[in-house]
Amino acid sequence: MSDDENFAAAYREHYWAVSRYVARRLDGRSSEVEEVVAEVFTVAWRRRADLPSTPLPWLYGVARNCLANAVRGYGRRRRLVDRLGNDDRAHGRQVVAGPDADAPGGWVHEALARLSPADQEVLRLTAWEELGVDEVAVVLGCGSRAAAMRLHRARRRLRAEIDRLMVLGGAGC
Amino acid sequence: MADELELLRSANPFTGDGPRYGDGPLDHRAERGLNRLLHERRSRRRRLLWSLAAATAVAATVLTLVLSGPSSTPAVAAPRALVVQAHSTPVSLKQLAALAAAVAVDGTPALRRGTHVQSWSLGMSDDKPPVTVPEERIVRWNADDSHTERDVENGHVLKDTTYPPSWSDVPPDARPPHDVAGLRAYLQETTYSKTPLTTPELLSAVGELLDHWTLGARESAALARLLAGADGLRPVGEVTDRLGRHGQAYVYRQSGSRLMLIMDPATGAVLGLETTFTKDQPEYGVKAGDVMDYSAWTR
Repeated sequence: MSDDENFAAAYREHYWAVSRYVARRLDGRSSEVEEVVAEVFTVAWRRRADLPSTPLPWLYGVARNCLANAVRGYGRRRRLVDRLGNDDRAHGRQVVAGPDADAPGGWVHEALARLSPADQEVLRLTAWEELGVDEVAVVLGCGSRAAAMRLHRARRRLRAEIDRLMVLGGAGC
Repeated sequence: MADELELLRSANPFTGDGPRYGDGPLDHRAERGLNRLLHERRSRRRRLLWSLAAATAVAATVLTLVLSGPSSTPAVAAPRALVVQAHSTPVSLKQLAALAAAVAVDGTPALRRGTHVQSWSLGMSDDKPPVTVPEERIVRWNADDSHTERDVENGHVLKDTTYPPSWSDVPPDARPPHDVAGLRAYLQETTYSKTPLTTPELLSAVGELLDHWTLGARESAALARLLAGADGLRPVGEVTDRLGRHGQAYVYRQSGSRLMLIMDPATGAVLGLETTFTKDQPEYGVKAGDVMDYSAWTR
């Protein structure tokens, strides 16, 4: 297959997975998700000659960079919109605030949010994108052993935060 | 107790079998994105600016062209907000909806896929004062489900592209219904909302609908009835819109901004939507009375 055909196949196969990756990190703000996903595939198109045979972790890596840029750009806009108070995004009308009230989603998200961005990312890649350690390493641009170590430490810290929240709030699961 | 990864897995906000971003065939927007990449090889450098209009508008991409250099100034001065004519008599939305229903009896004009919209939206960047970007967008669909999009910005043709046949059954690409309940559900789906729309959300969804479809008399009548039931949308009198058309204006005020809906007094069709700042925001270089975005639709 040509590079163009490989790209088209990867786009069709992974468009929704990349959309979920971005949505999970933008709290589902739909117009921003669509913009970032479009940007991810535009970058991937330019670099289609580099597309590996297992493209998804590589696409997540591209998405990670695009998100970092986008978040910087959106900051200013969001501050104004929040101040005006007229945008649903400012009111947290995101489609999914977490699983239902009786599921542990809310406080697990809270525990996750207390960790460093690096810890959060390795945990999300493992639990939500369901990547193995080798694939996590591709996304993060590090070696497998480093990725395994980061995951191990991040899990421990997440566990500690969960335990702390349960003590404070008496949350059950 | 489940281990921490299990707990985290169970708190995944978007899953492959979920209602949003779940696995499946590409939707219309995604197909269009792929077509664009495969068939359109433009090399123009673009930069991500944000546009407040994009908060409500849509297809409207927030990518705006970089102004051509440090010394360039926008070719068009920021237009002023529409002015309600003094002593004009406001017409209630109920009256207008009744008129629209009467006009729609013979079913003409008919609904047409595609749009012709002229918009002015405030664009911002981190290191420059806000600029108003005028844009004209014409989308025409052909009998074989292919379509042509033409974008003109500041007098420059940005895009004039024909896309291969495509379809979608998801609003706002799906055909809009012409009954009030159907249209209400359609607009709610357009905004991805699970709850009934507030008036600002409704107006935003109307803008999105009109950026995709040129409504027929029946759809306009249903929309007028729907708008007549919107909370806080107050008739204020007559305006002349930026295209020189007479319209009746309806205003919704909210913290920091004002939304104005402009409707055709002869047919009850929506002519335009305007969002205006009502408070100074010096940090962002905007003043009360500045127009955040304005869209005018024509057939």
